[in-house]
Amino acid sequence: MGMIEKAPLYLERLPGGGVVTTSVEGLLNWSRASSLWYLLFGLACCAIEMMATGASRYDFDRLGMFFRASPRQADLMMVCGTVTHKMAKRIKVLYDQMADPKYVLAMGGCASNGGPFYYDSYSVLKGIDKVIPVDVYIPGCPPRPESLMEGALKVREIIMKQKMKDFAGDRAMQS
Amino acid sequence: MTKDEIEKQLVKDFGEHIEIQTTDQPEPFLYVAKEKYVEFCKYLTENPSLAFDFLFQLGGAHFVDASGQGEKFDVILCLASSKHKHEMVLKVKLPAENLALGTVTGIWRVADFYELEAMELYGIKFPDHPHPRRLLLDDDWDYGYPMRKGWSGHPDFIPMPDKSESAE
Repeated sequence: MGMIEKAPLYLERLPGGGVVTTSVEGLLNWSRASSLWYLLFGLACCAIEMMATGASRYDFDRLGMFFRASPRQADLMMVCGTVTHKMAKRIKVLYDQMADPKYVLAMGGCASNGGPFYYDSYSVLKGIDKVIPVDVYIPGCPPRPESLMEGALKVREIIMKQKMKDFAGDRAMQS
Repeated sequence: MTKDEIEKQLVKDFGEHIEIQTTDQPEPFLYVAKEKYVEFCKYLTENPSLAFDFLFQLGGAHFVDASGQGEKFDVILCLASSKHKHEMVLKVKLPAENLALGTVTGIWRVADFYELEAMELYGIKFPDHPHPRRLLLDDDWDYGYPMRKGWSGHPDFIPMPDKSESAE
């Protein structure tokens, strides 16, 4: 039996070095992605689909996702529904109150780009990416719970790909 | 009361100040003179055979004629009586140069929010309103009255593209 076949065994036992750092990063990302607590932001009919996704039939809990009513405890902001200019300011405040690293999921046409209120509307903001950075957009009016779960899995993929240096500082400033 | 009975009663008491419209609707539609508006509303609630104790809608309307020059405003009230189970629609004409109207918040409490809404969205003024404030629009809204015809004051406003052009 050559050394090559035993290499993984030896490498894991090596103290310090690149291999060990990578696995801490992986462990950290895995734990963050598996307990993604989200801030409730149900504004319109998309909120009904979000509630259905959180309830027992689709069950967000099995992804480790629990809703929090406080931005201080949330990692993910799910903006579900029609955002008016008046509400956009409140969304910005709540986003700023969330602790880094934080993620934003825009659910439905309204939150993505204004949706059915794109034309001839005096009050609706044309997409929340005008005020806060968005990680995942989910199309639909409203999207089905399956779509929302797919979006949540996309957020997990983003988290799993992150490096430790990405955590420092405000991502909104970097982008 | 039936539609004819209500109309007869109103003409008897306020004949020269109201103008009844002919419609095929089951409830009476009528215009009342601006000067008699508050007095007329008070009469509608206090007269025992009418007893319109419930205001379920107060809204504005903006009309522009085909040339785009002449404009006028209406304030429209939908009233019902919980006692007699009858309804009516009351309107007031307002000229564009003077949009002030008396308040009916002292008669129906719910008119408070409806009048604020008409104030913000149509620019109709209620100088006697007991508690004037901003209700629906953004706190620093300074883009005019969005429900008026041809409004496009907000910088983010995108009008609907003309369908007849895109069809070609």
